[in-house]
Amino acid sequence: MGRYLEKHFTLIFFLPAAVLSVLLIIYPMLYGVYISFFNTNLVNKWEFVGLENYTGLLTDTAFRNSLGVDLKFTLAVVAGHFVIGTILAVILNKEIKGRVFFRCILMLPWLIPEVVFAVLFKWILNPQYGIVNFSLIDLGFLSETVSWLGDVDLALPVVAAICILKGYPFVMIMVLSALQTVSGDLYEAARVDGCSEMKAFWHITVPSILPVLTVAFILDTVNWFKHYTMVNILTGGGPANSTSLVSVTIYKTAFGSFKFGVAGAMAVVVFFICYLMSWIYRRLTDEKD
Amino acid sequence: MKKIKKQGRAGILSYGILAVFSLIVLYPLAWMLLTSLKTLEETFVIPPVWLPKHPSLKTYGDIFVKYPIAAYFRNSVIVVVVTTAVSVVVSCMAGYAASRSRSRFKRPFMTFLLVLQMFPAVMLLVPYYKMLTAYRLVDTLIGLILPNIAFTMPFCTWMMMGYFNTIPSELEQAAQIDGCNRYQSFIRVICPLTMPGVAATAIYSFIQVWNEYMFSQTLMKTETAKTLTVGIAQMVGEYRTLWNDMMAASVLTSLPLIIVFLFFQKQFIATLTSGAVKG
Repeated sequence: MGRYLEKHFTLIFFLPAAVLSVLLIIYPMLYGVYISFFNTNLVNKWEFVGLENYTGLLTDTAFRNSLGVDLKFTLAVVAGHFVIGTILAVILNKEIKGRVFFRCILMLPWLIPEVVFAVLFKWILNPQYGIVNFSLIDLGFLSETVSWLGDVDLALPVVAAICILKGYPFVMIMVLSALQTVSGDLYEAARVDGCSEMKAFWHITVPSILPVLTVAFILDTVNWFKHYTMVNILTGGGPANSTSLVSVTIYKTAFGSFKFGVAGAMAVVVFFICYLMSWIYRRLTDEKD
Repeated sequence: MKKIKKQGRAGILSYGILAVFSLIVLYPLAWMLLTSLKTLEETFVIPPVWLPKHPSLKTYGDIFVKYPIAAYFRNSVIVVVVTTAVSVVVSCMAGYAASRSRSRFKRPFMTFLLVLQMFPAVMLLVPYYKMLTAYRLVDTLIGLILPNIAFTMPFCTWMMMGYFNTIPSELEQAAQIDGCNRYQSFIRVICPLTMPGVAATAIYSFIQVWNEYMFSQTLMKTETAKTLTVGIAQMVGEYRTLWNDMMAASVLTSLPLIIVFLFFQKQFIATLTSGAVKG
């Protein structure tokens, strides 16, 4: 017995994680796929419809619309995170006074719970009493109050901007800690060889932190593609479905109109999109090894 | 001479950018804090004023009477603590095995965990709802803890593996030569060295679970069974919202994370990135 335990210690150490994954993730996931083949209310109506829920999605304009909205949203948010996160990380990596102080402040959005961040912005963007409107009028940018989250054209950009502000610290810390592993000797050598600062950035810094950027990029993309909480609180997907991200649409289909089968089919489609992203991620990281 | 001038300009630009972003970050947070110190009438003044006339902490006391905030708080803490304990223990074992193993199952298993991490939570929501209803676990804290474990465990395992990779395996080998078996060497030699990694993984799990909203919103029906995030979100009224109450509750909900983070930030950042990079 003792020798058996000794020999298979890795297996035994993996066991709890494996059991929990099967019970808490694999089983529910397969059950979700099973539901997607039924027209069901989960209680007493279980009508097998085969692939009908899936074929229905092809003509489902609401679903297609939300995929489009989600794509735009994810592109904007991830691009924003990377531009802001990288710029701030590069600055915070310099030997400047007060960098710990600035780092703590700039980390704050990441530490505020998503729900709090969302209700806070609902409050400061409030069309009647919100401070943002009045600050912008004071500064001369606006002449009258704007309904930031109630305008069909404005809602998505505003929601995306809020999500950029919420999420850039993640990219910032990832890049910052990658920058700290780049050896100073390289820059020294480049400077001796007469390399400008801009050139050094492109030829030394960027290649050195590229692996981290890749990881951060994929994690960030997947994470915001499936985002739900803040959008649900800020706009609930409206106005006129202009901010209806995929997760919001799936949630509404399931718990709003009780079409659990259709929601299941949507979830499976999103599953494949995320799987594709994770596959690309694995290809990119495998290459590195 | 020219060089110094150029650096000076770059320095000013750096500080300028940092200052602008700090202001953007602090602007809403300041408004949150100041609103929570106002009376209800003051929150509905047009045009709004930044500073309350008579700042008071009265709202903070009031919300404990008006809403079951204490119950929300307790529920959130229970869910966070239990989920984190389970996730950390399980991921500590799996992460150690993954770091030391040369088994051919290791890579597929770790990839599999990473893939699990990437699936949308909403995909599991409907099946969980159905299963927990069948086992009568809807509206119970256990029913909320189970999916939270599912969300945190995979990435925790990756973080722990990254951390164990930084601990040289000569240490256990030495212990084994001294007569320890693999389990003893893990508990007596490796575990004490793992505390920084455990702390970082626990913080990750804490942040995730403390933030969780979709599942609690769907699964918890009884008012006193809800968690803080849901409690705050439902304070948004149909016609009128008591913003000062809501901002006070928001400040209370944000503080634990900020405090925990300030204590452990160095460990946390190091482990978060080592898990992601070396994986």
